[in-house]
Amino acid sequence: MPAGHGLRSRTRDLFARPFRKKGPTPLSIYLRTYKIGDYVDVKVNGSIHKGMPHKFYHGRTGRVWNVTKRAIGVEVNKQVGNRIIRKRIHVRVEHVQPSRCHEDFLQRIKTNDKLKGEAKARGEVISTKRQPKGPKPGFMVEGATLETVTPIPYDVVNDLKGGY
Amino acid sequence: MAFVKAQKSKAYFKRFQVKYKRRREGKTDYRARIRLINQDKNKYNTPKYRYVVRFTNKDIIAQIVSANIAGDLVLAAAYAHELPRCGLKVGLTNYAAAYCTGLLLARRVLKKLEMDDEYEGNSEATGEDYSVEPAESRRPFRTLLDVGLIRTTTGNRVFGALKGALDGGLDIPHSDKRFAGFSKESKQLDAEVHRKHIYGGHIAAYMSTLMEDEPEKYQSHFSEYIKEGLEPEGLEEMYKKVHAAIRADPTAKQSEKQPPKEHKRYNLKKLTYEERKAKLIERLNALNAAAGADDDEDDD
Repeated sequence: MPAGHGLRSRTRDLFARPFRKKGPTPLSIYLRTYKIGDYVDVKVNGSIHKGMPHKFYHGRTGRVWNVTKRAIGVEVNKQVGNRIIRKRIHVRVEHVQPSRCHEDFLQRIKTNDKLKGEAKARGEVISTKRQPKGPKPGFMVEGATLETVTPIPYDVVNDLKGGY
Repeated sequence: MAFVKAQKSKAYFKRFQVKYKRRREGKTDYRARIRLINQDKNKYNTPKYRYVVRFTNKDIIAQIVSANIAGDLVLAAAYAHELPRCGLKVGLTNYAAAYCTGLLLARRVLKKLEMDDEYEGNSEATGEDYSVEPAESRRPFRTLLDVGLIRTTTGNRVFGALKGALDGGLDIPHSDKRFAGFSKESKQLDAEVHRKHIYGGHIAAYMSTLMEDEPEKYQSHFSEYIKEGLEPEGLEEMYKKVHAAIRADPTAKQSEKQPPKEHKRYNLKKLTYEERKAKLIERLNALNAAAGADDDEDDD
């Protein structure tokens, strides 16, 4: 009989719980709150059978577009043929983690606001734009001795000694 | 020692997955806890309060707790060992005391949230099933009963505490199936029986039978009651007074003890490298001295 292409086909290892982490799930999963617009990672928890996303979405990151009683609506990009579709799925909270992809940006917002506030108090105009790393500055080489290297003339007799 | 084949090899220990700490201690039922704590996601940060009732051998603990990732927060707590302040000196872990503790907690919480005038609850404990009616301005304080690991049989003291909180004015979803006095045949709560339990009637009955049949056992069993001068007939009066005292002043009394300035040490302090070396040198010197004395004795 052929293998079949059911909903959870080929997920024996993907949905398995990690080593020595089987059994009850930690309670902090249930205590987290998600707002619309947050970025979340979808990571399936194999021990919770309800509200599982399809295996395609395991490991994807998307934005929250809906919040219901026990589940979150996540908008994930999926390439179908020659285009990328924004797919909307509903996933139970046990299969979702807050994503850190956005964390750097949110941090930067905070520090920039603070810097701008301080600069305004001082009356200066500052730019908080990130600058790309430029070329390294020039430097003088210290303590180098000059050694001139020249080729030696080809010596037939000595070089052919080995394989002759 | 007999030659026994080792049962638990190193491989066994390497693969062993420990249960959660509180499960190992046998204190938390995580299946129940998940269901009590889980708040609807579309209610975001609204706390979900649970009414925790736990019985120790000599005390009753009633708390209103909300869950947090950092740790649960206790909104208010009431203990049976506070009841002597309200006039109940003996029998601090019986059904009637559980009722009093629940009542004390309910009044305390409502007073803290400034809802105690709106929600009087049931001032006269009749034993009938009573649920709070919503008042005009604020909705009643809703909480869910958390029994922990006890077996929920009909007439368990934990439901006495539940009845106390309900009569105090809290909104706790419940059914009267497990109150003392519910009969399985007629599928009805006998309010009279429940009322007797709330006022210690079952204790008074036992006291009377013991007084007639086995006076010595009565003396030993109810010695504290006799010391306080409590007769079986006077129990109901006493509990009525306790309920009134609780409703009059439910505030918790702050303890006068100051917290100790520095924490008491429960384990040995770790020695520094120099201290450990010095200790070793001392021990070696002591050994050498003792060995020298032994040699001298042997020589002598």
